[in-house]
Amino acid sequence: MDDNIGARSSNEDNYMIKEQEQLLPIANVGRIMKQILPPNAKISKEAKETMQECVSEFISFVTSEASEKCRKERRKTVNGDDVCWALETLGFDDYAGPVRRYLHRYREQEVDRANQENGRNILKDLE
Amino acid sequence: MEEEDNNETILPEFPTGRVKKIMKLDKDINKVNSEALFLVSCSAELFIRFLAEKSAEVTKGKKRRIVKLEHIRIAVQRHRPTSDFLLDSLPLPSQPLDRPITDQIHPRPVTEKPVPAGTRRIDDFFNKSANKSPIQIDNEES
Repeated sequence: MDDNIGARSSNEDNYMIKEQEQLLPIANVGRIMKQILPPNAKISKEAKETMQECVSEFISFVTSEASEKCRKERRKTVNGDDVCWALETLGFDDYAGPVRRYLHRYREQEVDRANQENGRNILKDLE
Repeated sequence: MEEEDNNETILPEFPTGRVKKIMKLDKDINKVNSEALFLVSCSAELFIRFLAEKSAEVTKGKKRRIVKLEHIRIAVQRHRPTSDFLLDSLPLPSQPLDRPITDQIHPRPVTEKPVPAGTRRIDDFFNKSANKSPIQIDNEES
């Protein structure tokens, strides 16, 4: 029987590519899952794919809540505090603590990065 | 992702461009600054870890070693905030995800198989013609 897999129309290809663009790469998702599971555990392909979809839903859900807060406060740009707030509001208190720490360290890194830039510039002036 | 190393630069696991794309699927989202993008990436990873851990507990409880969709579903049901937004989105048990997407939107047309030689078509029974012999073996098929 002739199987027309090779002759997929470009519309269908585009559809599949679009689907993948809405998901985080399965390799990353799988790797993170493996880190958590006991060494002899395995994950079905279906479970990995499901997890991909769950994460995208999660991202949309949190982003939407953070964005709504901005809208109400008449701000245009979603920032880190909005994301923290959204996580707490939506009941993900378990994440709120670690995420606030990440935010703190991210801001420290940004300051360090800026200072390094300034430091380099000062050294240049001294040359 | 490093959590305890104070001097390590934290890098989320996911390609930031892809995370951003997913965030922007919602047309109501305007701008997102780099902090927010970073934190959403971090949270996404935390979410996977959390759900994987809970799913694995279900798998273990059932004395299995392979984490399956149904285990994820039970884990989701057990955590209220997650269940609120996710439970209805999970694929139903009768709809396996590994069917190619193409089959779902464009079912492949069923082609008529040529019948094996020597087969009588049932139509022949009704096509009575004086010139035809009673048993007509029809080898021609579209």
